[in-house]
Amino acid sequence: MSAAQHYVEHYRELASKLPGEHLPWLRRLREEAQSRFSASGFPSPREEEWKYTNVATLEKKLFVPTVGAPAGATDTNALARLRLEGAWLLVFVDGVYSAEHSVTANLPEGVIATSLANALEQYPDLIEGLLNQVVPEVAHGFIAFTTAYFRDGAFVHIPAGKVLDRPLQVIHFSTRPDGLSVTRNLVALEQNAEASLVETYAGIGDSSYLTASVTEISVGENAGFDHYKLQSETAKSYHFGGIYAREARSARLRQHHLAFGGLLARTEIHAQLGHAAECELDGLFLATGRRHLDTQTLIHHRAPCGTSRETYRGIAGDRARGVFAGRIVVHPEAQKTDAEMSNRNLLLSEDAEIDSKPQLEIHADDVKCAHGVTVGQLDPEAIFYLESRGVDEPTARNMLTFAFANEMVEKIRLSSLKRLVQSELLSFLPQSDIRKDWL
Amino acid sequence: MSATAKTLDKLIKKDYAPGFVTDLEADTLPPGLNEDVIRAISAKKNEPEFMLEWRLEAYRHWLNMEEPTWAFVHYGPVDYQAISYYSAPKSQEQPKSLDEVDPKLLETYNKLGIPLYEQERLAGVAIDAVFDSVSVATTFKEKLAAAGVIFCSMSEAIQNHPDLVRQYLGSVVPPGDNFFAALNSAVFSDGSFVYIPKGVRCPMELSTYFRINAAKTGQFERTLIIAEDSSYVSYLEGCTAPMRDENQLHAAVVELVALDNAEIKYSTVQNWYPGDEEGRGGIYNFVTKRGDCRGRKSKISWTQVETGSAITWKYPSCILRGDESVGEFYSVAVTNHCQQADTGTKMIHLGKNTRSTIISKGISAGRAQNSYRGLVKILKSAENARNYTQCDSLLIGDRCGAHTFPYIEVKQPTAQVEHEASTSKISEDQLFFCMQRGLSAEDAVSMIVNGFCKQVFKELPMEFAVEAQALLGISLEGSVG
Repeated sequence: MSAAQHYVEHYRELASKLPGEHLPWLRRLREEAQSRFSASGFPSPREEEWKYTNVATLEKKLFVPTVGAPAGATDTNALARLRLEGAWLLVFVDGVYSAEHSVTANLPEGVIATSLANALEQYPDLIEGLLNQVVPEVAHGFIAFTTAYFRDGAFVHIPAGKVLDRPLQVIHFSTRPDGLSVTRNLVALEQNAEASLVETYAGIGDSSYLTASVTEISVGENAGFDHYKLQSETAKSYHFGGIYAREARSARLRQHHLAFGGLLARTEIHAQLGHAAECELDGLFLATGRRHLDTQTLIHHRAPCGTSRETYRGIAGDRARGVFAGRIVVHPEAQKTDAEMSNRNLLLSEDAEIDSKPQLEIHADDVKCAHGVTVGQLDPEAIFYLESRGVDEPTARNMLTFAFANEMVEKIRLSSLKRLVQSELLSFLPQSDIRKDWL
Repeated sequence: MSATAKTLDKLIKKDYAPGFVTDLEADTLPPGLNEDVIRAISAKKNEPEFMLEWRLEAYRHWLNMEEPTWAFVHYGPVDYQAISYYSAPKSQEQPKSLDEVDPKLLETYNKLGIPLYEQERLAGVAIDAVFDSVSVATTFKEKLAAAGVIFCSMSEAIQNHPDLVRQYLGSVVPPGDNFFAALNSAVFSDGSFVYIPKGVRCPMELSTYFRINAAKTGQFERTLIIAEDSSYVSYLEGCTAPMRDENQLHAAVVELVALDNAEIKYSTVQNWYPGDEEGRGGIYNFVTKRGDCRGRKSKISWTQVETGSAITWKYPSCILRGDESVGEFYSVAVTNHCQQADTGTKMIHLGKNTRSTIISKGISAGRAQNSYRGLVKILKSAENARNYTQCDSLLIGDRCGAHTFPYIEVKQPTAQVEHEASTSKISEDQLFFCMQRGLSAEDAVSMIVNGFCKQVFKELPMEFAVEAQALLGISLEGSVG
């Protein structure tokens, strides 16, 4: 039985328990998505966008959907470690909203931050206008999978002109071995609104599970949104995350993606820019062990005067493989576009691999577009410099690797998140058992 | 329309001078492709049995292959049964000397500016002239033979040097390598064969001039260059075709083998008929070119100036097998009107301390689409491998496209790989600066474009560089605006 058949079978019984079942438009959406998923299954490396990431193991390793079942036991200490000070918090355990762990008190008036399942009860019309509006037109198997089977997710709506002074945090926490969490997150900022949101993905111990999560973001006219994603899943888990954003005129979006965990993890970040919109994408991955970490970005400049900046860094050690693919498309009407992409990678071991695929597709002439990629190792001269000052070689390598990565961490504007990411980074660094008193 | 706009406009709308047809009686096989056609081609060329077997095997392989669709080009389906796979000017049997060559043919080459009479030629270039499916003349054979160099048509090589052919043919581009290479392996009719013995520096530049003349035919030539230890050769190729409303297929294969310390420099000025302004007609140029740096410290350098063809699908590549071998790729690709080009290179690093350089310049005008597609692959064995890639695109006009699709795969931590790309248009400031100093808008544009391509042009042999610059002007004619 193929994976697609397996999930279609399982969800046949569970369909009536999925949220929003009473809404005809949603039922139709889910049915369409299911038939697309059952026809295509999970993507294969024969598809150009999946050339470097083979998810064939998901055909053999089947996860168990758990609709309706109570969430597994939550390790509160682990949760507490991931929490950001002062942030409003939505917690999803195994893909299901946990009101018990969430903190949504004192939200400013008009701001909605709740679970999508709740929102489908309370604001079905609002959701109808937002759900599945920003995902790519030709959605691959994973996206269809989340549309068909999402159990829950975060819903955040910031009304016009509202500026949040504290960040929002969404923690997706997996506890169940062989479990499956399918979530859809929806974020909408109306004009002139401003907010920042941190999504954190993590799990317990070394359990193996699958997380499939799609986040749709729409940023209204002149609104500003900072989005962070910290992927710190367990060493045996599988993760697919899609972040799809659309920016209206003069909107500003900053997306920062930090990936350290998972066995096979992929994040797609797409942005569509309106007139004079700005987009800044930053990212860092550190792949150790036998991890396969994949980051894919796609920026569509669809209107004139847009600006986009992409800065990605990758580190691969041990037997890990890191993949970066970035594509910038400048449509014919998007004159005066200014786009830049930079991708720098560090290879730490003989058995590691880095694949990079930066692409420019330009259909307008009055544009400035550039991209650059490097792949290399630590500078032997820099190692020697540190050694000559009494630092042993492993520590010197560690310091330089940390410094390379830390330049991306420094771009984080939330100090509490910066501290959390630094400690995650250190715990994932190769030879992380060596002394860290140099920090 | 500003002055610059007019100039560019003028620049883009120039005629395709080599677009004439030579009226010749031709010996052409009827359209269609099956095993009998392949047997007929092989029989016409009086080939040994092993060649026929080789062709049939490629053909059977081809039958099971699918035409690639991943390139960023769009064209209607090609009817492979509507093409005639062999066409040769009907004249006497193998001419013994130039005096026996049909004067009409000589005149054709004269009109193209390729005089075949040795005394008229700038000393130092030997030419193999390929007309449709066959080689009609090869110059300077004796002088080259004295140096031990073999330079002849592929058909002759199969007759006179079957062992060399058998040893090397298909060793770089196997018959089943890809759809078009398999097709070529099955039906290739001629091409050039070059063999440079040990320690010989080829005394002159070698050159092949390809000409498609007959209608409804395809050209499938195959070139094989072998450079033995410590030898050097510089090889040039040029191509033109008549103006026709229908599309013609050109699917060539070029294989280069460089052994220890050998160096091969391969330059192309490709000027196949690009089709008219509306995109009618033109050559489909689907070519597989690959060089194998088999020996230590060997070097293969590709330089290409691509101005013609309706569609170009071409990735001259280097397999850097030998330790310390070097691969280079310099390219200028110009597309105008409705031309589409998807071209680039592959650098596969296997040996230690191997180095590769990629410089690609794309110029896109009119409604053309110009893509760079390249692969840099560093395998685990390639310690201290080094790659530098630069691809720049210049856009002229707001309806064209310029795209960059690089692939970088690194499995060796000591490797150093750099890639950079930029896309821009000719800025008003640059033009203003030149014109302020008394240049006409036309000269200013041509100067800026030439400056943009200079890094590549300086790699071309002198004569070709002049031709390339002139061609660049012609191809872009009428594009400024």
